[in-house]
Amino acid sequence: MTNQAIGFSNPKPDEFQSGALITNENREIVYANTYFSDELNWTLKKLLGQSSDVLFTISSKIFCESYLMPLLIHEKKCEEMQLTLFDGNGKRVPVIVSAKMDEKSCIYWSFFNASKRDKLYEELIDARKELEAQAKTLKLMASTDELTGLMNRRELNLRAPEVINQAKRYTHNIALLMIDIDHFKKINDAHGHLEGDRVLKALGQKLLKFGRQTDLIARFGGEEFIMLLPDTNTSNAKIFARRLHQLTSGIEVNHAPVTVSIGITMTDGSHSLDDLTNQADGALYEAKKNGRNKTEFYKET
Amino acid sequence: MPFADKIIKRNNVTILGSGQKTLLLAHGFGCDQNMWRFMLPALTPYYKVLLFDYVGSGKSDISHYDQARYSSLEGYAQDILDICEALDLQDVIFVGNSVSSMTGLIASIQKPKVFHKLIMICPSPCFLNFKPEYIGGFEKVDLEELIDLMDKNYIGWANYLAPLVIGSDNSEKLVGELSGSFCSTDPIVAKAFAKATFFSDYRHLLKDAKHPVKIFQSSHDALASTDVGSYMAQQLPKAELQIVEAEGHCLHMTHPDIINKGLRDYID
Repeated sequence: MTNQAIGFSNPKPDEFQSGALITNENREIVYANTYFSDELNWTLKKLLGQSSDVLFTISSKIFCESYLMPLLIHEKKCEEMQLTLFDGNGKRVPVIVSAKMDEKSCIYWSFFNASKRDKLYEELIDARKELEAQAKTLKLMASTDELTGLMNRRELNLRAPEVINQAKRYTHNIALLMIDIDHFKKINDAHGHLEGDRVLKALGQKLLKFGRQTDLIARFGGEEFIMLLPDTNTSNAKIFARRLHQLTSGIEVNHAPVTVSIGITMTDGSHSLDDLTNQADGALYEAKKNGRNKTEFYKET
Repeated sequence: MPFADKIIKRNNVTILGSGQKTLLLAHGFGCDQNMWRFMLPALTPYYKVLLFDYVGSGKSDISHYDQARYSSLEGYAQDILDICEALDLQDVIFVGNSVSSMTGLIASIQKPKVFHKLIMICPSPCFLNFKPEYIGGFEKVDLEELIDLMDKNYIGWANYLAPLVIGSDNSEKLVGELSGSFCSTDPIVAKAFAKATFFSDYRHLLKDAKHPVKIFQSSHDALASTDVGSYMAQQLPKAELQIVEAEGHCLHMTHPDIINKGLRDYID
């Protein structure tokens, strides 16, 4: 059997409901079917002899050059690529393109209108964007202490192991500071919870401002804060704590400066976060016992 | 792992050749260090040549990819500075293609001591049009459509991405050869790089350049016109512009001999 349609004027082999185009080795259009005039408002006269570039938007041209053409040259065909065409009136039309290239570098293009599919894509992209934004918000909410804006205990638990591991890998020391506001219960009792909240927020802000970008600063719970300082030795930590006492005294309740007690422990990365918080907690207890508004270091017994 | 080893592995740093002077070659969007292969034979006998892949490109370690860091060119510039710090580099002659011209400029302004001269191949400080005072070449709608097309051709596109050569006059054989090593990338990473590249506007930085700059501009480049080159040469405190009679955006791939000669004349 031979293909009887070729050579006949009825049925017309030119009349498919999709665009068909042939370009020569110079990428000039040598054939376009009636779809271009019937559906895309081009006239044959305007297309024949022109570079196929006249059909594509700028972004589609970039896509053609960096993806479609290399693919055609290497694989001799490409399938199901979405591009945007200009119709004869300059209107943008989304299309699905499949094309193949023969041994003489002629390209046989077929185009299918993809307006509906494009709408679906748009919706999918919007949905993805919305989900990404939601995920970001959720992640922030799950990792942040609402009152102070610092990271919460859960986030600290997630991020501290990496910092501790790095200390081990790069052989430096880290300091963990546990900071507790002195007589916080009295502030709450005497001046109300709003005043207590204000103090917590103010201290959180000061810690954040004072800390370096690589420090982990968290509200550990109640009136307790933790700072994990990478690449810090004992004398750095001492100076750091002294500055913290100074900074804190800038917060006042009823004209009296707020004070904190600080427990510090040092590690070369060979301790877990749990170990470190326990050690710092012990040192903090010593600082409280010794009269508050003090820093104590954990001492191994 | 010490910092230097970490960075060398992260950015897949390659060290070639030897000589008094050190060249650091930075690839553009849609490719990796392979795009310099046509220039290397004429450079490595005379210079120490460093190649690398930005995190997310080529054979870099993608586990270091950070969406926030690499959403702007500052993040890519930090890769350059990290490499210079890791290898303790000074007086580097920086060579960047396209977007890397700007990342190099950002890095050189942040740490002037590290750099000696900058070479820019088909640079653009801003692809967007701000009519009438600046014509970057693209309307916003075009660039948004480009990012959109990346989304809509999701997987295939990122698997077969080729350097943005853009020049239909370049012969098929050449285009075939140039795109011979497709850069298979993660589509999310490639899209972020495209966004950072095409939507950036660093025109304001040009006047702050601290080093002499040589610009190679293609006479017919759909991505950066000769006007963009003239604009840059005018804004940069100390710049030299060479227009190369050619098609396309990757002169170092299509016309390596001309670039090599111009480069050597400029730095020796």
